[in-house]
Amino acid sequence: MNIAINNLKKTFGKGENLKVAVDIEQYTINSGELLGLVGNNGAGKSTLFRLILDLIKADTGTVHMDDVDVSKTEAWKDWTGAFIDDSFLIDYLTPDEYFQFIGRITGLTNEQLQEDLKKFEHFMAGEVAGQKKLIRNLSAGNKQKVGIVAAMLLRPQVLILDEPFNFLDPSSQSIIKHLLTDYNKETGATILVSSHNLTHTVDICPRIALMEDGHIIRDIDNHNGEAQTELENYFNTN
Amino acid sequence: MTPIQLYKLLKQTESLKDKRHPMFERNRFLKFLMFFMVAYYAALMLIMGVSLGAGMRTEHSAAFHQLDGGFFYILIIDFWMRFTMQETPAQKMKNYALLPIKRSFLMKSYLFRTVFTWGNTFWGFFLVPFGLISIVPLMGWWAFFGWLLGYWLLIVANGLCYLFTRALCMKHMLWFLVPLALHAALICACVIPDHNIFRVPFILFMYGFAQWNILSFLIAGVAIFLALWANYRLQMGMVHDEVAKKEEVSLKRVSQFNYLSRYGAMGEYLKLEIKQRMRNKQVRMQFFMGIGLITFFSLMLYFTDAYNGDFMKSFICLYDYVIMGATTLITIMCYEGNYIDGLMSRRETIYDLLRAKFYFNSAILLIPFLMIMPLMINGKISVWMSLGYMFFTMGVLYPCVFQMAVYNKNTLPMNAKLSNGSQGTMMQSIISIVILFLPIALEKLSLLLLGPQWGYMPLILLGIIGIATHRLWLRNIYSRFMACRYENMEGFRASRNG
Repeated sequence: MNIAINNLKKTFGKGENLKVAVDIEQYTINSGELLGLVGNNGAGKSTLFRLILDLIKADTGTVHMDDVDVSKTEAWKDWTGAFIDDSFLIDYLTPDEYFQFIGRITGLTNEQLQEDLKKFEHFMAGEVAGQKKLIRNLSAGNKQKVGIVAAMLLRPQVLILDEPFNFLDPSSQSIIKHLLTDYNKETGATILVSSHNLTHTVDICPRIALMEDGHIIRDIDNHNGEAQTELENYFNTN
Repeated sequence: MTPIQLYKLLKQTESLKDKRHPMFERNRFLKFLMFFMVAYYAALMLIMGVSLGAGMRTEHSAAFHQLDGGFFYILIIDFWMRFTMQETPAQKMKNYALLPIKRSFLMKSYLFRTVFTWGNTFWGFFLVPFGLISIVPLMGWWAFFGWLLGYWLLIVANGLCYLFTRALCMKHMLWFLVPLALHAALICACVIPDHNIFRVPFILFMYGFAQWNILSFLIAGVAIFLALWANYRLQMGMVHDEVAKKEEVSLKRVSQFNYLSRYGAMGEYLKLEIKQRMRNKQVRMQFFMGIGLITFFSLMLYFTDAYNGDFMKSFICLYDYVIMGATTLITIMCYEGNYIDGLMSRRETIYDLLRAKFYFNSAILLIPFLMIMPLMINGKISVWMSLGYMFFTMGVLYPCVFQMAVYNKNTLPMNAKLSNGSQGTMMQSIISIVILFLPIALEKLSLLLLGPQWGYMPLILLGIIGIATHRLWLRNIYSRFMACRYENMEGFRASRNG
């Protein structure tokens, strides 16, 4: 599934307080790509994701998934999974109930749902599924896991995850890296991941977009892992 | 920094909290509305004060004696109104927990402000004109000021009692039943017997203020002192609980509602509706308050003759059916604002959610139907009236209230123990008034034209038409919601943590 961004612009505020959150003339994420999005706070990563998911209105421009303009129809929601923050979670459900809710409203049977959930057993590490805890009572890391699993549950062709490594323990970070790369290889899904963790991003993303003040200032080919140095230089982490 | 400077700073910080609320700051109309509502209620009280000051006088008794004989009604109204507006000091102190300010100072300053807040003088819009008309000509200015001061002291004591109750409610929600039972008992004790035993003592007590009798002031002063002391002790004990508040971590039992699974995706949305009410304090409270009100009014109608007039019978029957919708559906989508992004990233979830809400809220109309059944059996309410209002609520009033799904765009906290302020909008107020009074007007017109035998048929027919076409009007609401989705989502996000 190609994602094509054209003349996309989003600003917040007015007059002196005007802030350009996203301003991208033309950018295409090819079908099957695993794209990493990096940038400092306020660079526009989350806003870009929200624009792609039609959660906020663009001032100008369009986002197309193949031929579908995301702001015009809801068809793209059938093949898209996403997790950005807690506002994606119904926090008075238990994780199992939430997975069941997502599964059933999108047409999965209970058997299919249980089968799909098995793939995430290792990632959930016995702390998420089968618990009698409401999502709001889970730790931040476990909430993150619920959101990621729910986004991947329906085997979407487009997967969008904002800061998926946040709050996760090192083991879970490692597992999610493998889950994402394996999923990408198995299904050919287009995956967009934003992160402040340069190492993880470089490890899993063959292509990395660097954002600054709403613009994609560099589009880095990372097939051979050469983005690490360039990113470290940009972020002055050395 | 001196204590006075610190007190002023705290006061200033608190006043900014409301002014800088995300929804308030972004909405000039809301600012105007707030001002308008205050002015409206002030004017209303002013008019009531003038008209009752002149109208309550009888041959044997001055108007102010009539009012004083039932002054506790004012206190009861004042008490319950505070639930929508006033936070406890323990809740407020949470924000300052890590600052180097003594908690005892914070608590004292908050209690001080509770006493001297302008809110406690709001009844003055009613009492001042009332007293000017009914006391000044008979007893002079000095008596008027004493009487007014007496009321202010009682309202202050009432406010502190409210604060105490609310603090207890933070520990367990069911504490609100104590004042409810007390107030209900007091009203019953005055209304049910032929002779109101409290009237004379109340008149004498309030007359004491007008005469600057030390005993009346002493009683009010002691009440305030005791209430302050009790609040200080209780609230200080609760500060730690509030700061280190931790929810129950595990559920004892997870209710599955598997019987709804047979309805597929719709069953899941219905489960969501039930769980939303069961697992969130604010929503649960609203739900049970609705049931409590239905029970209360049904019992009042059943056991007393106080509401035997035709209008009151119609009103109570309608109120029983409408109250759940008026309290919960009027804020439709506001709770969903907490997870709106998740809903909006799935296809047509909002339409299915609206359908589930319609089915659920239609099903719970069985509760008032059953509550009204004894009234149908004893003949106070006719079967046709009950059926008429039930169908009308489902098929006509619900479509009206569901329109709010398009206009509501402020997120309400689901699990806050109690509301931290009134979040009503102009549109919500208008719809509430329409659903409470339009059906009665239609009923009366219909009865006038068709007589008692057929008069309720139009209500039933209109209701059935609305029910039969529910998918059409829900689809229409959904389409309009989607048309303004960006604005609504922005509002939900902005107010989510406000």
